Amino acid sequence: MIVLPIIFQFVAGTILLFFWQKTTLQKFLSILFSIIGLGISIWLFLLVWENGIMITQSGDWKAPFGISFVADTFGVTMVLLSSISGLAVSIFSAGSMRKERLEFGFFPILHFLIMGLQGAFLTGDIFNLYVWFEVVIISSFVLLTLGGKKQQLEGALKYVSLNLLASSLFLIGIGFIYGLTGSLNMADVAIKLDNLQNRGLVSVTSGIFLVAFGIKSAIFPMYFWLPASYHTPPPAVSAIFAGLLTKLGIYAMLRTFTLMFGGDEFMGDIMVILAALTIFSGGLGALLQQNMGKIFGYLIVCHIGFLIAGLGMYTELAIMGTVFYLIHDIIVKTNLFMVSGLILKINGTQDIRELGGMYKNFPIISLLLAIPLFSLVGIPPLSGFWAKIFLIQAGLQTQDYVLIGFIVLGSFLTLWVIARLWSEVFWKNGIDLPKKANGLYFSQMTKTDQWLMVFPIVLLSGISLYIGFGAENIIILSQRISTELMDPSGYIEAVLGLKTMTP
Amino acid sequence: MLIAVILGFIFAILVPFFSKFVKKAIPFGYSLLPLSLFIFFLQFLGEIKSKGHILFHYQWVPSLGIDLSFRLDGLSLLFALMITGIGALVFIYTTYYLKGHKYLDRFYGYLSMFMASMLGVVLSDNLMSMFIFWELTSISSYFLIGFNNEDPASRKSALTALSITGFGGLVMLSGIILLQAVGGSYSFTELLNSSEIIKNSTTYGWIIALFFVGAFTKSAQFPFHFWLPGAMKAPTPVSTYLHSATMVKAGIYLLARFTPLLGDTFWWNSTLITVGAVTMVFAAIHSVLRVDLKSILAYSTISALGILVFLIGIGSEKALLAAGIFILAHALYKAALFLITGIIDHETGSRDVTKLAGLQQVMMPVAVAGFIAALSSAGVPLLLGFISKEVMYEATLQFGDWAIILTALAVLTKILLLVAGFWAGIKPFTGTLPAEFGKAKLPSPLLWIPPFLLGVLSLGFGTFPSLITESLIQPVFSSISGSDTIIQLKLWHGFNLVLVLSILTLVSGGALYWFLKPSNDLFQKTVRFEAISPQNIIEGGGKLFGSFAGIWTRFFQNGYLRNYVITILAFLTLLMAYRLFGEVNIYIDWNQISAVSHYEIIVVVLMIISILFAISTNSRSVSIVALGVVGFANCLFFLFYSAPDLAMTQFSIDTLTVLLFMLVLVKLPKNKQYSSKGIKMRDALLSLLFGTLIAILTLEVFEEPSSSEVSKYFAENAYILAKGRNVVNIILVDYRGFDTMIETVVLVIAAVGVYSLMKLNLNPSKKDL
Amino acid sequence: MEILLVIIIGLLHAGGLYMLLRRSMFKMIIGLILLGNGANLLIFLLGRLVKGHPPVIEDGMKVFADIYADPVPQALVLTAIVIGFGLQSFAIILIKRVYNVLHTDDLDELNSTDEEI
Repeated sequence: MIVLPIIFQFVAGTILLFFWQKTTLQKFLSILFSIIGLGISIWLFLLVWENGIMITQSGDWKAPFGISFVADTFGVTMVLLSSISGLAVSIFSAGSMRKERLEFGFFPILHFLIMGLQGAFLTGDIFNLYVWFEVVIISSFVLLTLGGKKQQLEGALKYVSLNLLASSLFLIGIGFIYGLTGSLNMADVAIKLDNLQNRGLVSVTSGIFLVAFGIKSAIFPMYFWLPASYHTPPPAVSAIFAGLLTKLGIYAMLRTFTLMFGGDEFMGDIMVILAALTIFSGGLGALLQQNMGKIFGYLIVCHIGFLIAGLGMYTELAIMGTVFYLIHDIIVKTNLFMVSGLILKINGTQDIRELGGMYKNFPIISLLLAIPLFSLVGIPPLSGFWAKIFLIQAGLQTQDYVLIGFIVLGSFLTLWVIARLWSEVFWKNGIDLPKKANGLYFSQMTKTDQWLMVFPIVLLSGISLYIGFGAENIIILSQRISTELMDPSGYIEAVLGLKTMTP
Repeated sequence: MLIAVILGFIFAILVPFFSKFVKKAIPFGYSLLPLSLFIFFLQFLGEIKSKGHILFHYQWVPSLGIDLSFRLDGLSLLFALMITGIGALVFIYTTYYLKGHKYLDRFYGYLSMFMASMLGVVLSDNLMSMFIFWELTSISSYFLIGFNNEDPASRKSALTALSITGFGGLVMLSGIILLQAVGGSYSFTELLNSSEIIKNSTTYGWIIALFFVGAFTKSAQFPFHFWLPGAMKAPTPVSTYLHSATMVKAGIYLLARFTPLLGDTFWWNSTLITVGAVTMVFAAIHSVLRVDLKSILAYSTISALGILVFLIGIGSEKALLAAGIFILAHALYKAALFLITGIIDHETGSRDVTKLAGLQQVMMPVAVAGFIAALSSAGVPLLLGFISKEVMYEATLQFGDWAIILTALAVLTKILLLVAGFWAGIKPFTGTLPAEFGKAKLPSPLLWIPPFLLGVLSLGFGTFPSLITESLIQPVFSSISGSDTIIQLKLWHGFNLVLVLSILTLVSGGALYWFLKPSNDLFQKTVRFEAISPQNIIEGGGKLFGSFAGIWTRFFQNGYLRNYVITILAFLTLLMAYRLFGEVNIYIDWNQISAVSHYEIIVVVLMIISILFAISTNSRSVSIVALGVVGFANCLFFLFYSAPDLAMTQFSIDTLTVLLFMLVLVKLPKNKQYSSKGIKMRDALLSLLFGTLIAILTLEVFEEPSSSEVSKYFAENAYILAKGRNVVNIILVDYRGFDTMIETVVLVIAAVGVYSLMKLNLNPSKKDL
Repeated sequence: MEILLVIIIGLLHAGGLYMLLRRSMFKMIIGLILLGNGANLLIFLLGRLVKGHPPVIEDGMKVFADIYADPVPQALVLTAIVIGFGLQSFAIILIKRVYNVLHTDDLDELNSTDEEI
């Protein structure tokens, strides 16, 4: 039952494969499937919200022998968010993606990617998690290189090699876990690791996981592939990458470091340091870039730092901050790259030195785009603001004052970067560039396609606004997730069937 | 009350929708909003006088302790009245000032958004919601300063202003959270009860430092003052409203508000006195060095803000009273002066005080308003400015040992400000009208009535202080000082030192005005000090930070994949080494190690040789073959150790890989030698270290007793439950069937990817949308 | 024997990393494949070695009579090998494409996406 979203995306991807080259039909089907997928995710979310953790043992083999799928609040929230992002990107690509790319399997791969993500969010088995990771990275490889342009290939080379390296490390880590515990079920592993005398080995293993997931989630000093590659594919692809791929790394880190390696203080300290440096590097990187895609790329890095910071401090409050920020970040980062895609379509460039005049020519769109941009900055009471309160509070409690300084600095740099972007792209008078690029400009597109590009931005901006103004609900959600993560006994009992869970 | 606050936001959102209607039907319709709010707040005068303060609660984010509670007391009421009252005048003024402007509706949208935010700042009882509104004022200020967005200078000023105030805001956020951690609440009213605890806590110093940064940036105190003159790029109504009468006073509001809570300690008082004094003198000197009317006013505003900080710093009852009166007096006369400047600019097209003269011949009512404002600014009797100045001198004179110095500084500032005020309010109207301004005429009453009205109020309150003493100033004083002392405002204090100082101020100020003519030369003389001005230092620091950002980014994001790999793995190696040697007891238990047979040794040697070949050879084919041999040797291991299925798989996959390699890559040109010996050595060293660590770790994990519960279950039930004899296969297709299914998906996706990589080739030379 | 295998594992990792650090794309792929081999062998070893007793239940028996090799790591490695093959072949083709478009094997020349700060 829990695997329904995964199975559904699998079916969707497969069906779409059969309509190879029939792009119009694919567009329609993809949007339809995404809507249904979203429906399923909402249903699952509500179910778990009402009933607490739910378990499906694949093939009915009881844990820890088969592969367990676990839907806890964190997992289903991530599934829900990935469905939302998936829907938005699906609509956006239907409007903006070049036909040639659609003919070469864009939509099926998109659905496989979502399937991989949702599988990873729901699985309770560490090796299964690895396999889902591989689905995600191979799909992302394909999406990244789809089109085979020079820039794309160069970026992809770095992306592919570093991600393969990360997978290799992940595999090594799994090997050690199996060697230490003889088990792969994360709940079971958690218990067995806990009973292990040789804490040093556990700690080293967790270090390998830290690096493996660290590469995926682009934390310092492992983020290099991200600024090198994220701006190279079409914005729709970057959007789904930005929203979900790095967050998968964060998810995995949150999951493993709360469940299996809970409370390793040394690693926590390392994470806090890395978080500060990640914020710093991302912020500094974004400061000087002229290409919008790159600016946003570095901002992703910067904000990954906020997420790691919470995990590093490892208090319930801090994790709450991380989870809240994660929810906000998935929505807003997906939106941001769609914004950059829209601006690219309108002007034919992403270079902020050449851009301009948006405000004059497209006042309504400009105001719409202001929502994700300023949500990102965290202008209160928009969505990026709330998590910072938790993080700063947590920092005061754990006395990580330097980290607070970096969080403030990171927020300030984001503010500055976005304000500069606004003044260059929206306020400044643009240069009239010769319209020489491939593909259609926004003004040349059909009304339907234009709407297909604008609507997902409206949708995600709406959700961002909800996160900001309805913060109370999101806080309750984050609180519940954080409690569940910090005390994994409920998860473990549910998976291993030690006790039937009643919410 | 909630509606009163958020009405502006609703209004701002709705403006685009009904702008066409308003433009046609009621051009000054927008002004009804601040006007009705002004009347709304006026009603509370009586209630505040009797009750002290009123609280309103609206729930918002209870789990964070954040709500929309509003506290209406003397201080907030004064600000609310100023915000809505001056707001109403500015709204009306704008109707004519920006008549026919293409983006007038946007302007009103931002303006009402600002008004609502500012009301939120002064009315919020909850510090976190106050902060939210605080940041919103910064943002609306950003949009308003950049309103003439096609002008690069406007954009730059907007960005500078936002950077400074935004930075201060974030710092203050940390302060608020820290305060909450110590005091246990975000509610100001509740915090008041734990004032002593907070003052005695170890973090008190941090709290006030963080709050000071917030207040000083917002209220343009030295050394953060320079964004304010830059903000004068905004249209004059904005300068009037935000950058003189209301927004810049948010910092003052904050300090005044927190005086009963955090004030009256050594650090509080001495910091505020120092910063305030430096700002007021520094900016007052600057104001008489300028020739642009708006610059003069900007600096005199900074100076006035400095005076307020200075007074709050002194902290005695008299000083706080003086601050309370001065907030009002300043708002009245400075807003008038700004509006008048706007009129002059609008009618003559010039703001150069050296050229402007004799305008009273064409715009008498404006001139009258200007005179009143200038005189109030100077502190001439019968005007509100006089009363505030008197009380201020009283306060400085009572300040113990430092009284003389402080009084002298205050007098000096006042003298300079008098000159600045006269230049702005009197100079343009007296003398003979230059021919170039011959076409200037009296503008629409919509423009001159607002400053005139402000003048009337200055005069009225100044002449009859009893109009506001009890109803307004008394509650303001109580809420700033927290004391119940009954205050009295009088015009005539008797013949005493204060009066002497007053006269001294007026006489010497008047003399200075007479002798000192505004000119650009004065300013030019100070240019050489610009190098050490705070603006230069801070902007230089920003630039330096930018270059540093460049160096940092280029250092890490250098474009070389091998550097990325080396950074990542060096980090991992260090981490592992540190933990491994620090925490793990390294030992080998020979009992667990099985014996070695001859053929195994052969395979091992073969493998080592082929690995070395694979990495050292320069020929592609050789390294591919060597790689193949590594794979096959791997196969043999699998075979020896009871894994025939694995051996099979490895064998076929290995063959496929080698074939693929041969087919695809052999055609590439010969490998070149790229790296130098040194780099190779470094890489080899790191690689060996990494390999060794992995090896040691593997061995140690191997030595741990393993649990075989899971595999035992598989083995025992494979046949019984899953009907299969080959347990590996059973695991693959049944126990862990999901893995296998997804594995297939991976292959399918890879196939799609390979296909599209080979087939799809978009024109690489052109940009792609 | 385990010691020897451990040495091999270490060597595979060292060699893989060394190759990753070279400037040639071709060598980079070799490095990744070596690392993959190392990881597989590592998992296999950590399942503890048993000689000559494949985890196949003999005909006529319902359970194992004798000792048997741990089947789980074998299954994992099998999956990992196949998945690794998918990724590696994609990477190989990618390199080919990169070469066709950019006409170089030198990774140091492929840094245009990191430039122009």
